[in-house]
Amino acid sequence: MTINGVVETDFPEEFIEEMEKTNDVLPKKIDANPENVEKGLSKLVLTLIELIRKLLEKQAMRRVEAGSLSEDEIERMGETLMKLENKMKELKQIFGLEDEELNLNLGPLGDLM
Amino acid sequence: MVVREFSEPVRNVTKSDVLAHEEVIERLMEYFTVLPVRFHTVFNGKDDIFSMMQSYYKDFRYNLDRLYNKVEFGIKVIWPADKIKKSIRNSHKKSKHEMTIPDGSLNKKFMGKKLEKYRINQEFEKKADKFINVMDIFFSKFAVEKKLKKLKTENLLLDAVYLVEKDRYDDFKEAFKHIKNSHTGFKFLLSGPWPTYNFVICQRKVTCSKIPSKKTYLIN
Repeated sequence: MTINGVVETDFPEEFIEEMEKTNDVLPKKIDANPENVEKGLSKLVLTLIELIRKLLEKQAMRRVEAGSLSEDEIERMGETLMKLENKMKELKQIFGLEDEELNLNLGPLGDLM
Repeated sequence: MVVREFSEPVRNVTKSDVLAHEEVIERLMEYFTVLPVRFHTVFNGKDDIFSMMQSYYKDFRYNLDRLYNKVEFGIKVIWPADKIKKSIRNSHKKSKHEMTIPDGSLNKKFMGKKLEKYRINQEFEKKADKFINVMDIFFSKFAVEKKLKKLKTENLLLDAVYLVEKDRYDDFKEAFKHIKNSHTGFKFLLSGPWPTYNFVICQRKVTCSKIPSKKTYLIN
Protein backbone atom coordinates (compact mmCIF):
# COMPACT_ATOMS: atom_id res chain seq x y z
CA MET A 1 0.00 0.00 0.00
CA THR A 2 1.16 3.55 -0.63
CA ILE A 3 1.15 6.48 1.78
CA ASN A 4 -2.18 8.04 0.84
CA GLY A 5 -3.60 6.10 -2.04
CA VAL A 6 -6.04 3.35 -1.11
CA VAL A 7 -8.07 0.89 -3.11
CA GLU A 8 -11.60 0.31 -1.86
CA THR A 9 -13.63 -2.57 -3.20
CA ASP A 10 -15.56 -5.59 -1.96
CA PHE A 11 -14.61 -7.57 -5.07
CA PRO A 12 -10.83 -7.39 -5.58
CA GLU A 13 -10.58 -10.74 -7.43
CA GLU A 14 -13.19 -9.76 -10.01
CA PHE A 15 -11.44 -6.48 -10.78
CA ILE A 16 -8.05 -8.17 -11.03
CA GLU A 17 -9.53 -10.69 -13.45
CA GLU A 18 -11.07 -8.00 -15.65
CA MET A 19 -7.89 -5.92 -15.68
CA GLU A 20 -5.86 -8.98 -16.60
CA LYS A 21 -8.15 -9.54 -19.56
CA THR A 22 -7.35 -6.05 -20.81
CA ASN A 23 -3.63 -6.60 -20.25
CA ASP A 24 -3.60 -9.83 -22.23
CA VAL A 25 -3.85 -8.00 -25.51
CA LEU A 26 -1.01 -5.65 -24.70
CA PRO A 27 2.37 -7.25 -25.39
CA LYS A 28 4.89 -6.30 -22.69
CA LYS A 29 7.68 -6.55 -25.24
CA ILE A 30 8.14 -7.65 -28.81
CA ASP A 31 9.55 -11.13 -28.60
CA ALA A 32 10.74 -11.83 -32.12
CA ASN A 33 12.66 -15.05 -32.61
CA PRO A 34 12.82 -17.68 -35.36
CA GLU A 35 10.29 -19.89 -33.54
CA ASN A 36 7.50 -17.36 -33.18
CA VAL A 37 8.10 -14.80 -35.90
CA GLU A 38 5.62 -16.52 -38.22
CA LYS A 39 2.90 -16.54 -35.59
CA GLY A 40 3.60 -12.90 -34.68
CA LEU A 41 3.33 -11.82 -38.28
CA SER A 42 0.20 -13.83 -38.94
CA LYS A 43 -1.36 -12.38 -35.79
CA LEU A 44 -0.75 -8.87 -37.09
CA VAL A 45 -2.12 -9.64 -40.55
CA LEU A 46 -5.14 -11.55 -39.25
CA THR A 47 -5.93 -8.74 -36.81
CA LEU A 48 -6.14 -6.28 -39.68
CA ILE A 49 -8.24 -8.67 -41.78
CA GLU A 50 -10.54 -9.27 -38.80
CA LEU A 51 -10.93 -5.52 -38.32
CA ILE A 52 -11.93 -5.08 -41.96
CA ARG A 53 -14.26 -8.08 -41.78
CA LYS A 54 -15.99 -6.65 -38.71
CA LEU A 55 -16.33 -3.24 -40.36
CA LEU A 56 -17.85 -4.84 -43.45
CA GLU A 57 -20.25 -6.80 -41.29
CA LYS A 58 -21.29 -3.71 -39.34
CA GLN A 59 -21.83 -1.72 -42.50
CA ALA A 60 -23.90 -4.56 -43.94
CA MET A 61 -26.08 -4.65 -40.82
CA ARG A 62 -26.58 -0.89 -40.97
CA ARG A 63 -27.76 -1.21 -44.57
CA VAL A 64 -30.11 -4.05 -43.70
CA GLU A 65 -31.52 -2.00 -40.81
CA ALA A 66 -31.99 0.96 -43.13
CA GLY A 67 -33.83 -1.30 -45.56
CA SER A 68 -31.59 -0.30 -48.44
CA LEU A 69 -30.81 -3.87 -49.57
CA SER A 70 -32.94 -6.02 -51.82
CA GLU A 71 -33.55 -9.69 -50.96
CA ASP A 72 -31.08 -10.70 -53.62
CA GLU A 73 -28.44 -8.37 -52.22
CA ILE A 74 -29.02 -9.73 -48.71
CA GLU A 75 -28.58 -13.23 -50.10
CA ARG A 76 -25.27 -12.38 -51.76
CA MET A 77 -24.00 -10.42 -48.79
CA GLY A 78 -24.85 -13.33 -46.49
CA GLU A 79 -22.85 -15.67 -48.68
CA THR A 80 -19.86 -13.31 -48.77
CA LEU A 81 -19.83 -12.70 -45.02
CA MET A 82 -20.28 -16.38 -44.24
CA LYS A 83 -17.38 -17.34 -46.51
CA LEU A 84 -15.19 -14.64 -44.98
CA GLU A 85 -16.01 -15.81 -41.46
CA ASN A 86 -15.27 -19.43 -42.31
CA LYS A 87 -11.98 -18.49 -43.96
CA MET A 88 -10.96 -16.53 -40.89
CA LYS A 89 -11.80 -19.49 -38.64
CA GLU A 90 -9.63 -21.68 -40.85
CA LEU A 91 -6.68 -19.27 -40.78
CA LYS A 92 -6.94 -18.81 -37.00
CA GLN A 93 -6.82 -22.57 -36.59
CA ILE A 94 -3.78 -22.89 -38.87
CA PHE A 95 -1.82 -20.30 -36.90
CA GLY A 96 -3.15 -21.38 -33.49
CA LEU A 97 -4.74 -18.03 -32.70
CA GLU A 98 -7.77 -17.32 -30.54
CA ASP A 99 -10.27 -14.50 -31.09
CA GLU A 100 -9.02 -12.61 -28.03
CA GLU A 101 -5.50 -12.56 -29.44
CA LEU A 102 -6.55 -10.64 -32.53
CA ASN A 103 -6.20 -7.12 -31.23
CA LEU A 104 -3.71 -4.28 -31.26
CA ASN A 105 -3.08 -1.67 -28.64
CA LEU A 106 -2.96 1.78 -30.20
CA GLY A 107 -1.62 3.53 -27.11
CA PRO A 108 -3.71 6.54 -26.12
CA LEU A 109 -6.31 5.63 -28.76
CA GLY A 110 -7.08 2.39 -26.97
CA ASP A 111 -7.45 -1.04 -28.51
CA LEU A 112 -8.09 -1.55 -32.19
CA MET A 113 -11.11 -3.79 -31.55
CA MET B 1 13.10 17.33 -10.58
CA VAL B 2 13.72 14.25 -8.44
CA VAL B 3 15.99 11.65 -9.97
CA ARG B 4 18.04 8.67 -8.95
CA GLU B 5 21.46 8.21 -10.43
CA PHE B 6 22.73 4.76 -11.33
CA SER B 7 25.34 3.27 -13.62
CA GLU B 8 24.18 -0.32 -14.17
CA PRO B 9 21.05 -1.06 -16.17
CA VAL B 10 18.16 -2.06 -13.88
CA ARG B 11 16.73 -5.24 -15.33
CA ASN B 12 14.81 -6.85 -12.49
CA VAL B 13 12.25 -4.44 -11.19
CA THR B 14 10.47 -5.50 -8.03
CA LYS B 15 7.16 -4.50 -6.49
CA SER B 16 9.02 -2.63 -3.75
CA ASP B 17 10.81 -0.53 -6.42
CA VAL B 18 7.45 0.52 -7.83
CA LEU B 19 6.11 1.34 -4.38
CA ALA B 20 9.25 3.33 -3.59
CA HIS B 21 8.67 5.40 -6.73
CA GLU B 22 5.07 5.99 -5.70
CA GLU B 23 6.12 6.90 -2.15
CA VAL B 24 8.56 9.55 -3.37
CA ILE B 25 5.83 11.13 -5.49
CA GLU B 26 3.26 11.03 -2.71
CA ARG B 27 5.66 12.59 -0.19
CA LEU B 28 6.38 15.39 -2.63
CA MET B 29 2.68 15.83 -3.24
CA GLU B 30 2.21 16.84 0.37
CA TYR B 31 4.20 20.02 -0.24
CA PHE B 32 4.32 20.68 -3.99
CA THR B 33 2.43 20.30 -7.23
CA VAL B 34 4.00 17.24 -8.78
CA LEU B 35 4.11 16.18 -12.40
CA PRO B 36 4.52 12.44 -11.94
CA VAL B 37 6.53 10.55 -14.51
CA ARG B 38 5.91 6.93 -15.35
CA PHE B 39 7.92 4.48 -13.26
CA HIS B 40 11.24 3.45 -14.81
CA THR B 41 11.65 6.45 -17.07
CA VAL B 42 15.34 6.59 -17.84
CA PHE B 43 17.50 9.38 -19.23
CA ASN B 44 21.03 9.15 -20.55
CA GLY B 45 22.66 11.64 -18.24
CA LYS B 46 22.14 15.12 -16.85
CA ASP B 47 22.45 16.88 -20.19
CA ASP B 48 19.49 14.95 -21.57
CA ILE B 49 17.40 15.94 -18.59
CA PHE B 50 18.28 19.63 -18.86
CA SER B 51 17.61 19.71 -22.57
CA MET B 52 14.30 17.90 -22.12
CA MET B 53 13.27 20.33 -19.37
CA GLN B 54 14.16 23.30 -21.54
CA SER B 55 12.19 22.08 -24.51
CA TYR B 56 9.17 21.19 -22.38
CA TYR B 57 9.28 24.25 -20.20
CA LYS B 58 5.97 25.64 -21.49
CA ASP B 59 4.24 22.28 -21.11
CA PHE B 60 5.52 21.85 -17.57
CA ARG B 61 4.53 25.40 -16.62
CA TYR B 62 1.04 24.88 -17.99
CA ASN B 63 0.61 21.56 -16.18
CA LEU B 64 1.94 22.91 -12.90
CA ASP B 65 -0.67 25.67 -12.98
CA ARG B 66 -3.45 23.37 -14.09
CA LEU B 67 -2.78 20.59 -11.61
CA TYR B 68 -2.08 22.80 -8.61
CA ASN B 69 -3.75 21.40 -5.49
CA LYS B 70 -5.35 18.48 -7.34
CA VAL B 71 -5.30 14.70 -7.03
CA GLU B 72 -6.50 11.82 -9.12
CA PHE B 73 -9.10 9.18 -8.28
CA GLY B 74 -9.76 6.00 -10.20
CA ILE B 75 -13.19 4.44 -10.49
CA LYS B 76 -13.95 1.05 -12.00
CA VAL B 77 -17.38 -0.48 -12.35
CA ILE B 78 -18.28 -4.05 -13.22
CA TRP B 79 -21.86 -4.58 -14.35
CA PRO B 80 -23.84 -7.82 -14.71
CA ALA B 81 -23.19 -8.06 -18.46
CA ASP B 82 -24.60 -11.59 -18.85
CA LYS B 83 -27.89 -10.69 -17.18
CA ILE B 84 -28.20 -7.51 -19.21
CA LYS B 85 -27.56 -9.33 -22.50
CA LYS B 86 -30.05 -12.00 -21.51
CA SER B 87 -32.75 -9.45 -20.74
CA ILE B 88 -32.10 -7.70 -24.08
CA ARG B 89 -32.34 -11.05 -25.87
CA ASN B 90 -35.63 -11.83 -24.13
CA SER B 91 -37.13 -8.45 -24.93
CA HIS B 92 -36.10 -8.91 -28.59
CA LYS B 93 -37.85 -12.26 -28.72
CA LYS B 94 -41.04 -10.71 -27.35
CA SER B 95 -41.11 -7.68 -29.64
CA LYS B 96 -42.12 -8.50 -33.18
CA HIS B 97 -42.18 -4.98 -34.53
CA GLU B 98 -38.58 -4.92 -35.72
CA MET B 99 -37.79 -5.65 -39.33
CA THR B 100 -36.31 -9.12 -39.77
CA ILE B 101 -34.82 -10.99 -42.67
CA PRO B 102 -37.29 -13.50 -44.07
CA ASP B 103 -36.17 -17.07 -43.46
CA GLY B 104 -35.01 -18.95 -46.49
CA SER B 105 -31.60 -19.93 -47.71
CA LEU B 106 -28.61 -20.63 -45.48
CA ASN B 107 -27.18 -17.23 -46.42
CA LYS B 108 -30.30 -15.41 -45.29
CA LYS B 109 -30.40 -17.35 -42.04
CA PHE B 110 -26.78 -16.37 -41.46
CA MET B 111 -27.63 -12.71 -42.08
CA GLY B 112 -30.64 -13.01 -39.77
CA LYS B 113 -28.46 -14.29 -36.93
CA LYS B 114 -25.89 -11.57 -37.53
CA LEU B 115 -28.58 -8.92 -37.52
CA GLU B 116 -29.96 -10.19 -34.24
CA LYS B 117 -26.48 -10.13 -32.69
CA TYR B 118 -25.86 -6.65 -34.06
CA ARG B 119 -29.09 -5.35 -32.55
CA ILE B 120 -28.34 -6.90 -29.17
CA ASN B 121 -24.87 -5.33 -29.18
CA GLN B 122 -26.27 -1.94 -30.15
CA GLU B 123 -28.72 -2.06 -27.27
CA PHE B 124 -26.03 -3.34 -24.91
CA GLU B 125 -23.88 -0.32 -25.77
CA LYS B 126 -26.83 2.04 -25.38
CA LYS B 127 -27.51 0.67 -21.91
CA ALA B 128 -23.82 1.06 -21.04
CA ASP B 129 -23.89 4.69 -22.18
CA LYS B 130 -26.98 5.32 -20.10
CA PHE B 131 -25.47 3.93 -16.89
CA ILE B 132 -22.14 5.66 -17.46
CA ASN B 133 -23.90 8.93 -18.12
CA VAL B 134 -25.83 8.76 -14.83
CA MET B 135 -22.68 8.01 -12.86
CA ASP B 136 -20.51 10.51 -14.67
CA ILE B 137 -22.93 13.41 -14.24
CA PHE B 138 -22.79 12.83 -10.51
CA PHE B 139 -19.01 12.35 -10.23
CA SER B 140 -18.33 15.31 -12.49
CA LYS B 141 -19.99 17.64 -9.97
CA PHE B 142 -16.98 17.10 -7.73
CA ALA B 143 -14.24 16.85 -10.34
CA VAL B 144 -12.54 19.28 -12.67
CA GLU B 145 -11.43 16.89 -15.40
CA LYS B 146 -12.05 13.27 -16.31
CA LYS B 147 -11.10 10.46 -18.65
CA LEU B 148 -13.60 7.66 -19.21
CA LYS B 149 -13.22 4.32 -20.92
CA LYS B 150 -16.38 2.40 -21.70
CA LEU B 151 -16.55 -1.41 -21.80
CA LYS B 152 -12.84 -2.23 -21.84
CA THR B 153 -14.14 -5.74 -21.42
CA GLU B 154 -17.75 -6.83 -21.65
CA ASN B 155 -18.00 -6.86 -17.84
CA LEU B 156 -15.92 -3.78 -17.10
CA LEU B 157 -18.54 -1.13 -17.74
CA LEU B 158 -16.43 1.83 -16.72
CA ASP B 159 -12.75 2.51 -16.15
CA ALA B 160 -12.45 6.17 -15.28
CA VAL B 161 -10.07 8.66 -13.74
CA TYR B 162 -11.19 11.96 -12.25
CA LEU B 163 -9.11 14.98 -11.38
CA VAL B 164 -10.31 16.35 -8.05
CA GLU B 165 -9.34 19.42 -6.04
CA LYS B 166 -7.75 18.37 -2.76
CA ASP B 167 -10.34 20.14 -0.65
CA ARG B 168 -13.18 18.34 -2.46
CA TYR B 169 -11.93 14.82 -2.19
CA ASP B 170 -14.13 13.92 0.75
CA ASP B 171 -17.12 15.06 -1.32
CA PHE B 172 -15.93 12.91 -4.18
CA LYS B 173 -15.68 9.89 -1.92
CA GLU B 174 -19.20 10.56 -0.64
CA ALA B 175 -20.44 10.76 -4.22
CA PHE B 176 -18.85 7.38 -4.87
CA LYS B 177 -20.62 5.87 -1.86
CA HIS B 178 -23.92 7.28 -3.06
CA ILE B 179 -23.56 5.88 -6.58
CA LYS B 180 -22.36 2.54 -5.20
CA ASN B 181 -25.37 2.21 -2.92
CA SER B 182 -27.83 3.14 -5.64
CA HIS B 183 -26.63 0.48 -8.11
CA THR B 184 -27.30 -2.95 -6.70
CA GLY B 185 -25.84 -5.78 -8.73
CA PHE B 186 -22.94 -3.58 -9.85
CA LYS B 187 -19.44 -3.90 -8.39
CA PHE B 188 -17.41 -0.81 -7.64
CA LEU B 189 -13.78 0.04 -7.04
CA LEU B 190 -12.47 3.39 -5.89
CA SER B 191 -8.76 4.12 -5.72
CA GLY B 192 -6.85 7.21 -4.72
CA PRO B 193 -5.93 9.86 -4.02
CA TRP B 194 -3.11 9.38 -6.54
CA PRO B 195 -0.62 11.69 -8.17
CA THR B 196 -2.11 13.10 -11.36
CA TYR B 197 -0.58 10.48 -13.67
CA ASN B 198 -3.37 10.59 -16.22
CA PHE B 199 -3.72 14.33 -16.46
CA VAL B 200 -0.26 15.57 -17.35
CA ILE B 201 -0.58 16.79 -20.93
CA CYS B 202 2.55 17.19 -23.02
CA GLN B 203 2.26 18.45 -26.58
CA ARG B 204 5.66 17.05 -27.49
CA LYS B 205 6.84 13.47 -26.97
CA VAL B 206 9.55 12.95 -24.37
CA THR B 207 12.55 11.23 -25.87
CA CYS B 208 14.00 8.81 -23.42
CA SER B 209 15.83 5.53 -23.50
CA LYS B 210 15.04 2.35 -21.62
CA ILE B 211 18.60 1.07 -21.96
CA PRO B 212 20.92 3.29 -20.02
CA SER B 213 24.45 3.88 -21.23
CA LYS B 214 26.86 5.34 -18.67
CA LYS B 215 25.28 7.41 -15.96
CA THR B 216 21.53 7.42 -16.04
CA TYR B 217 18.80 9.02 -14.03
CA LEU B 218 15.53 7.62 -12.94
CA ILE B 219 12.98 10.35 -12.79
CA ASN B 220 10.38 10.62 -10.10
